[in-house]
Amino acid sequence: MEGLSRSFGETRALNSATLRVRPSEIHSLVGENGSGKSTLIKILSGVLRPDSGTLVWEGEARQLGSPRSAQGMGIATVFQETLIVPEMTVRDNIYLGTDGLFRSGHRKGDEIAGARQALSDLGMDGLDLDRPMWTLSLAERQLTTVARAIIRPWRLLVLDEATSALDAQQRDRLFDYLRLARSQGRSVLFTSHRMDEVLGLADWITVLRQGATVATMGASEASRGGILGHMSGREAHADPAVAEPGPRRGGAGQQSPQRPVLRVAELTLRAASKPISVEVRAGEILGLAGLEGQGQVGFVECLCGLRRPVDGQVLALEDNGETHVVRSYRGANRLGIRYVPRDRRYEGLFGPLSVFDNFAITLWGDLSRLGLLRRQQARKRFADFAESSRLVSASPSRTISILSGGNQQKVLLGRWIAMRPRVLVVNDPLRGVDHNTKEELYGLFRRLAADGVAIIFLSTEIAELLTLTDQIAVFHEGSLVAMLPTEMSSDTDVVAAMFGADKHDGSADD
Amino acid sequence: MTDPSPIAPADGLPEPGPAARQPARSTSEIVTRFLAANFTDALPYILVPVLFILSVIFIPGYFSKLSIISLLILASLLGLASLGQTITIIAGGIDLSIPAVIGLSDIIVTQLYYKHWPLPVIFLAIAALAIFIGTVSAMSSVLLHVHSLITSFGMSLVVSGVALEWSNGAVNGAVPGWLTSSVSAIGHTGPIPIPAIIIVWAVASVLAVAFLRLTRVGRETYALGANPVAARLAIVRSTWTLVVAFCISALCAAMVGVFFAGYSGIPDPTVGEPYFFLTITAVLIGGTSLLGGRGGYQRTVMGALIVAELTTLLVGVGFSASFQELALGILVIALTSTYGRELKVAAKI
Repeated sequence: MEGLSRSFGETRALNSATLRVRPSEIHSLVGENGSGKSTLIKILSGVLRPDSGTLVWEGEARQLGSPRSAQGMGIATVFQETLIVPEMTVRDNIYLGTDGLFRSGHRKGDEIAGARQALSDLGMDGLDLDRPMWTLSLAERQLTTVARAIIRPWRLLVLDEATSALDAQQRDRLFDYLRLARSQGRSVLFTSHRMDEVLGLADWITVLRQGATVATMGASEASRGGILGHMSGREAHADPAVAEPGPRRGGAGQQSPQRPVLRVAELTLRAASKPISVEVRAGEILGLAGLEGQGQVGFVECLCGLRRPVDGQVLALEDNGETHVVRSYRGANRLGIRYVPRDRRYEGLFGPLSVFDNFAITLWGDLSRLGLLRRQQARKRFADFAESSRLVSASPSRTISILSGGNQQKVLLGRWIAMRPRVLVVNDPLRGVDHNTKEELYGLFRRLAADGVAIIFLSTEIAELLTLTDQIAVFHEGSLVAMLPTEMSSDTDVVAAMFGADKHDGSADD
Repeated sequence: MTDPSPIAPADGLPEPGPAARQPARSTSEIVTRFLAANFTDALPYILVPVLFILSVIFIPGYFSKLSIISLLILASLLGLASLGQTITIIAGGIDLSIPAVIGLSDIIVTQLYYKHWPLPVIFLAIAALAIFIGTVSAMSSVLLHVHSLITSFGMSLVVSGVALEWSNGAVNGAVPGWLTSSVSAIGHTGPIPIPAIIIVWAVASVLAVAFLRLTRVGRETYALGANPVAARLAIVRSTWTLVVAFCISALCAAMVGVFFAGYSGIPDPTVGEPYFFLTITAVLIGGTSLLGGRGGYQRTVMGALIVAELTTLLVGVGFSASFQELALGILVIALTSTYGRELKVAAKI
């Protein structure tokens, strides 16, 4: 087997990324959220096709037309999402997709033996093959998807965040299997959000940033700091002042400490995670950061009453000193906590309705008398908002679907801003928004903060958090691991905390 | 080994927003699209006079007050029955219990009036029952997380079971004379030489359009139908909105049942059966989408007129009942597919 090398070029998600995996090698692919890891893996497994670039497999340029052709070549992939059919048994899930047109491609006895072998390789010897999938724990489900990948003859196993749900023992068992496979001449490509896994398991490490390969190094020469530096695009020891990405807000909250409006008391997101206690003041912008699935989204949902925490409370503090517990989404809204969801299309927009109707839907509770609308007042508020946010819209009576993403987002924000929120919780609001509109929306958030609104701002873009927020709360494995004052932090600090390498408040994570 | 590939400009914006793409469209393209969209919007309004003129041409002696009034009575019955259906469909649901409620209400009026119950009591009883039926359909849909298609269908079976049981063997019924006159082509409403049902429909139409456009729960109906998840997050009163929609639907169906009783004078629990599909046909032909959140009652008014006109026309020129259904079916598919095109344009951007 010759050296394997593949290079891809795809606009947006991947930008001429290069990756080279040799036989008998465990290779780790690292990068921040949105750096293109998953895209690259989907190309490797035949799910996506590259716009340009080539894949060389055993010295030969190949085209991957479908997941099936990738499997045929010996590339087995375990995707980030645990893809299972809950109603089917463990055995059927493991053999999913192997059957031909006329039922089973294998004899039942072979299937049982194969499934047993694969599960035992992964340390799940005792698992009943006839159990329905939905009765399994998340970790067991995840290992079953790995088993599905390894029952087929494979030469390259691709694991995209395949260890996220596993405990230490299960993880070690999986790693033993991977090392064994390496000694047999097979290769593994994996991504992980845990730096210790990357350093402990990989022979080679490739770092992606903004869709491009920025470094490839041997594990022996790699250090945690070096990798983090490559991921964030700065040298690990660079002066934080140089790292500043843009103008930072002055922070109304810093000049005169304002009253707290929201208190999070001993909030536990997951059974195993540490309780979180935070206070948010009027006029403060608190950023939330974390890698995918580390609890920051759950935190946001707890704040606005969409989710019940395992333990602890969210308290809204009124000006008159009264304190109310947030128990439901409606309750949170009554207390002035307003939520702008992440997925515009599915959670925010009323596609067929007009721009004005999308804006005004939340207002009718206040602006109606005996159930009849007071449209004039709503129109006036819309006009005010459209002017202050520089909303670009042909006519408020046209359907909102013709607006650009940024303008749609403005309307969704306006929906709540017009309700004069005390706390505005925004879940990654600037995704897919063009540069100029982003700048306008930054301005909008700053003005709101200056007016005394507390803003809790979850973002997947660190640069954005550094530009806009006063403090950044970083989540890792369901716990708040660092509270970084934006003034004194660089994106390297944030990335380090995201990977659990916390050095600020000294709380031990690993 | 450690050579990074040629790296693209790091500041390259990964996602040009849709705004950047939009101006690329040529003006003529925009004009064409605009005309196309408005043409499909206007189609029902064009079809109503066109079908009428066709009837005048093909049916000898059709252009008379009597035949126009007969046509409007037919359209009124369908239009009233479809009023609630329009609202439930805009709310993202559908009411399959309309025929059953029509049947039950028909039975109640004829039976109780025959037993000399006072009319106001009968009407109040029917209204209360309708509100109960609508509330149960809507609440069970919300609480059990099942589409109202299923809950209202279950409700339909229960209601028609009750109606059949009640009317079992009953052949005698009575209705007040004014009720018969209200659906008769030669009927009068006070001094006005038009039967009452047409006036009732006209008033109800204005109220329904106003309800959907000018009231809070009306706007919430659209929001709920357009995107139930977003509606919840925008604190739309989803449950209340659905209950109101289904209560209006049941009340309208009950009203149609009362008029049907006036029509025939005898108890008939199956009188509403054709309205199973006819209400949905009228809503769809008018241009209210089954997807929810789009359309309005003014469109269903046109839809009901079109269905009534087409039926009259086909009967007038001697086509069979089965051919009428076939023609309606083709019309539904043809019209809704043009509405579908309009949607796609919106979805594309």
